[in-house]
Amino acid sequence: MVASSGKHRWGGAVKQITKSNFSAALQQIKVHIQDADFIAVSSQKTGDLAASSSHRYPWRRILPIDIAETAYLKAKLAAETFELLQFAVCPFRFQGSKVVAFPYNFHLFPRDELNLGMPSYSFSCQTSFLASMAREGFDFNVSIYDGISYLSRAQESIAKERTTPRVYSSSSSPSPSVADSIFIGRIKSRVENWRNACKDPCNMADGSLAKSLRKLILGGEVYGSRPSLSIDVCSDRQVQLALEMVTHISDDLVPLVVPDKSGGAKSVRVVLTSSEEDKNLLMSEIQNLEEEQNLKVRGFREVIDLISSSKKPIIAYNCLHDFTFIHSKFISPLQPSLNEFMCSLRLVFSNIVDVSHLLKEIGPLRKARNLPAALSYLKRQFFVPIDVEIPQLADGNSNNNHGHNVLKLTRVFAKLGILLKIVPDCQTSLGQHTVPIEEYANIFYPISNSLQESEADDVDFHMDNVRKISTDDLVFIWGFREGTSAAELKNHLRQTHSVFSEDIELQLVDKTCAVVVFQKSGSAEALLKEIGSGMTNSTAPSKIISEGLKAAGYEAYKKVCRLGMWEAELADSLDCALSEPSGDLTISSGEDASEIYWSSESMIDLNDL
Amino acid sequence: MRSRWLISAFSRTLTLACSHPVHCRRFSSSATAAAATTAVAVKKVTKSNFEPALEDLRLRVREADFVAIDLEMTGITSAPWRDAFEFDRSDVRYLKVKDSAEKFAVVQFGVCPFRWDGAKGSFIAHPHNFYVFPRKELPVDGPSYEFLCQTTSIDFLAKYQFDFNACIHEGISYLSRAQEAEALQTLSSAYKDEFNNSLYNLEEHVEIPLLRTADLIFTERMKNRFHQWCDELIKSPAKNYRLEENSDSNKMQFQTVFFKMRPAVLLDGFSSHQLKLIRLVLRKHFKDLVYVRSVDENAMWKKIVVYTDSEEDKASLREVQEDLLRNTEARVRSAVGFRHVIDLLTSEEKLIVGHNCFLDIAHIYCKFFGPLPSSMVEFALAVHKNFPRIIDTRHLVNSSHVIQYLMKRSSKSLSSIFSLLCPRISSPSLHVASNSYVKVEVQADETGSSCFNSGAKHEAGYDAFMTGCVFAQACSHLGMKFELHSPSIDFSKNDKIQNYMNLLYPSWNSGTVIDLSTGIENPDSSYKRRYPQIVFSNIVLVWGFPSNIKPKDLKECVCKVFGPDSITLIFFVDSTAALIQFSKEDLVNEFLILKDNLESNDDPISVLHPLAKLLEGGNTHAANYETYRDICGSSISKVLFVDQAEAVGIRWKTKVENGSGETQKFASSSEITPGDNSPAVKQVIGKKNDPKRQSHHQVSCEDILDSLHASKLLFEKQVRSTR
Repeated sequence: MVASSGKHRWGGAVKQITKSNFSAALQQIKVHIQDADFIAVSSQKTGDLAASSSHRYPWRRILPIDIAETAYLKAKLAAETFELLQFAVCPFRFQGSKVVAFPYNFHLFPRDELNLGMPSYSFSCQTSFLASMAREGFDFNVSIYDGISYLSRAQESIAKERTTPRVYSSSSSPSPSVADSIFIGRIKSRVENWRNACKDPCNMADGSLAKSLRKLILGGEVYGSRPSLSIDVCSDRQVQLALEMVTHISDDLVPLVVPDKSGGAKSVRVVLTSSEEDKNLLMSEIQNLEEEQNLKVRGFREVIDLISSSKKPIIAYNCLHDFTFIHSKFISPLQPSLNEFMCSLRLVFSNIVDVSHLLKEIGPLRKARNLPAALSYLKRQFFVPIDVEIPQLADGNSNNNHGHNVLKLTRVFAKLGILLKIVPDCQTSLGQHTVPIEEYANIFYPISNSLQESEADDVDFHMDNVRKISTDDLVFIWGFREGTSAAELKNHLRQTHSVFSEDIELQLVDKTCAVVVFQKSGSAEALLKEIGSGMTNSTAPSKIISEGLKAAGYEAYKKVCRLGMWEAELADSLDCALSEPSGDLTISSGEDASEIYWSSESMIDLNDL
Repeated sequence: MRSRWLISAFSRTLTLACSHPVHCRRFSSSATAAAATTAVAVKKVTKSNFEPALEDLRLRVREADFVAIDLEMTGITSAPWRDAFEFDRSDVRYLKVKDSAEKFAVVQFGVCPFRWDGAKGSFIAHPHNFYVFPRKELPVDGPSYEFLCQTTSIDFLAKYQFDFNACIHEGISYLSRAQEAEALQTLSSAYKDEFNNSLYNLEEHVEIPLLRTADLIFTERMKNRFHQWCDELIKSPAKNYRLEENSDSNKMQFQTVFFKMRPAVLLDGFSSHQLKLIRLVLRKHFKDLVYVRSVDENAMWKKIVVYTDSEEDKASLREVQEDLLRNTEARVRSAVGFRHVIDLLTSEEKLIVGHNCFLDIAHIYCKFFGPLPSSMVEFALAVHKNFPRIIDTRHLVNSSHVIQYLMKRSSKSLSSIFSLLCPRISSPSLHVASNSYVKVEVQADETGSSCFNSGAKHEAGYDAFMTGCVFAQACSHLGMKFELHSPSIDFSKNDKIQNYMNLLYPSWNSGTVIDLSTGIENPDSSYKRRYPQIVFSNIVLVWGFPSNIKPKDLKECVCKVFGPDSITLIFFVDSTAALIQFSKEDLVNEFLILKDNLESNDDPISVLHPLAKLLEGGNTHAANYETYRDICGSSISKVLFVDQAEAVGIRWKTKVENGSGETQKFASSSEITPGDNSPAVKQVIGKKNDPKRQSHHQVSCEDILDSLHASKLLFEKQVRSTR
């Protein structure tokens, strides 16, 4: 089917995957990922701090005043707070004048399959998010009852220590103590007795009573079809001793360590095999068991691992936001700084293309605020003949249309790819030069609007009055009466200090805190210095301080984000940061100043961002 | 020997606590699970049938002798270490309940009025199962903008076939009393502003502050477009005229609609700054256009510009606007939603019956009344004012000897109590000979039978029904004769029942009972404590120690220093934090000072010190019990206690409280400016800088330094003597 556009034509195009059809889908997607040129991903979350729906804590959204670092820290907070409910993956390739795509939508739920308190103890939901998902016809019962669980790589290694019985490799150990030799002696005679009893052919003829009596006395159990014996141990040392002892007795014994909840060894299970082949058989059985367990443990993360190992370029929208989620749910806890995060992410996904970055390459699209807007602009302004073909169709009767964002993303990328000559256009001759995708990879643009928001910002294109300013020229002011408007505050400040009579811009970040932009460089620093000295030196009471107003430079804001002081109101967070013992934060340090893109729209208004 | 046994018991409780996020009151043995499958008609109430169901319920509650309730939530504890421990002090326990009620959402609310029918000799029950969801229904702050889900609880609900779609798609929303008042105030003042702006300031000279070229262009464009629109209207008023613009991206922003029989433009897709400009343009240039705002179906503001053909028409528009205001007030009333049920229960002052319902009551308070008070006493008294009579069937069943005898110490879950006490209702097929069973009849009205489900365990409506049945049966066992009370039963007049009135368990393992009428908490005589007497002033909180330290190691480590009898209890809050109770209060400070001392010195003695094992890794923190309370009181919830303490903002490593109540906090030397060789004493300044206090602190700092040296000698002596 060639689907040109519109949701209705894509009805049932995206394959919906739950627990029941997961292992089958895994085999399919493996092939599709291998054949693909690119892999588009998008996800559905239970909430999003960056979204404009977060009315309650306006300052926690990614704002124009945020530098990449603070934007990352805000994205990190969101990734740690919310949960993924759906993850759509679409491997696709260019074929002549069309794109061949294989979209899948995985339903996820962080069920604690192994009873270890993982992958997540609890998660937050934003009611507005759930309500808008409900309006789109989202089936929550499917997700919660049948969603696929997962563990991150870091969680898997913890879980592995705790669950699977393992074949321990014995290593040399220090000389045994008296207690050790007593333990060895006791265990050795027990194991030998049991082994002999099992091997003794005349036992086989015994009646069931004798068998069960023997079982009672010798403490034998069965592991699969083979006889086995459990040895209780109470320390790692004893595990080591027991393992050594068992390998010394005979080759036909296989020791397995049975762990307890906390990861320590509970007992050593000795399994008796009948021959060398039988032993190999047992070992491969254990191997299979481990793999089966692995699939259960990793769950959906198998897909992420497939994408990662394929090394194919990954296409996403609003990457900073999506990949903080992916990293924290499927790789490991998020790093404290953007640089460390990017390094860690590069090791897993070498090639990520942010469509929001590509959009910026095409002049007017810079201001497109979401995918549908970008798509309709592309359709109007450019002629890019490209069709998306979806060869595999999901069940015809399935009328749910989840995960379609990934198809939109694929379409936008296909068009952009041709416009930017990343992918060969069918009309251009073969030898023509194409731009390597790497030129666009791994550049993330923080944007404060997210893809899946249905209460879509009604403004398609943004007013164009953005300019670069240095964070050194920013001062945060708080301590004023709640409900003061920006204009009132500006007037008021003009009366308190001459520096405010200069050309300044003032905007409210939230009800309690405003940010002032000084046009003249150095003014901000001078003001902060003066206030700083006024705070400790009571002989120079500035009018600002006497009115309870407080001020701090950008460093304080960075510190708030870095230390995770996510108070409901920015003023409280800044107060916390200032009360921290280390460093004088009222003065911004000139050395690591960054630049931000300042938009002169009024910040407090949610629709403007 | 004895203490070793104790420790192993504690470590067992630890694993228990970690593996089952408390559903304790809901756990039931599998043997009784089958019994609870009897069909009982439970009325399912969602958004669509809420209005009639509420009217019906009003009648039922008015007639009722008591009303049983039950709640289903999205979770119980926001972090494993927030589980209720027997070890908790009363204020800590309340903080944990408060945290739970504030973070999690109520998704189902069971209400079941019971009425005694003298003629039938039976109770008549009407179980209702309300689906609740904190939806945003007004363009102001709603009930809950965000709530937490505990993964295991959601999974638990799923196991019992909870219908999440019904809850999220059709759940009834609510506003608390505080939110309702706020919404009314915000909305009415918003309208008042508009009246003033759109009607009265016309004559006033309006200046549009145009600072930016973009604004200038925008206002000009808007002026032209509105002129064009008005002209077209006058030219052909009958025609449904649409404003056309070249760019189709703008077309969707301007759409002609009708507002109360008047032509109007729906303003869609403008930023609020642009809207402000539009309003200024209208006021300055258009006498016949009025800007109106109303609330649409999606709880968003709908902005329209209305055309009025005369001054009179404009005046009448004012009435229309007042009408809009009234409509909005009605919207607020409807947004109150499920709280109408709670208001009904409080206004009728009926006896409320719940099973282990302290957390339920906290949820009711938090969701429907207002923010929870900061202390247990205030909370108890505030609840008592709203619900003068509450009975906890769990307390009733536990403390009545007669019922305990009948229960034969079986499982305490609601469903097992129900099947034991009320076998006739739970499994009518069984022929139970005795006549001592209270009869309960479930009435389902014939109309709309589709909304009746057969009840199942862990469904709020059915659980409320079971609770009520258990209560009625328990009353009968206590010797109440319902026949004598007809037509209505006053439970508070009954001496035997009166003994249980308003007494609730603050948590399932608190070992105490709180009297809501007085706010006083007393030990529960029927509770069997597992731990010796707990003395909170003897407790040290330790966290961040190496992960391989188990309770046994911790005890060994501390006992080597302070003697074998120095510890009475060790309790692991989670795998990263522990509470140690010393035998003497002095040992608390001695421990803390010694710890700090060891950390600030790097000599061989410190390294070889028995306590050094505990301090390995350099992240071991210690403080007294008050710090534990403070950390529990924080609104943050990290999974591990270590992360929680860091997130709360604790940057010191040891906190010592000396006799005068003065607190000193010590940080390790690495966190202070390098090169500072004196013992690292860092004072942590509170939120406000006060130079006076600072100097006061410095004096006591020196005191502490002296005492440090003194105590060091003391400890060395002690170490020698214990060897």
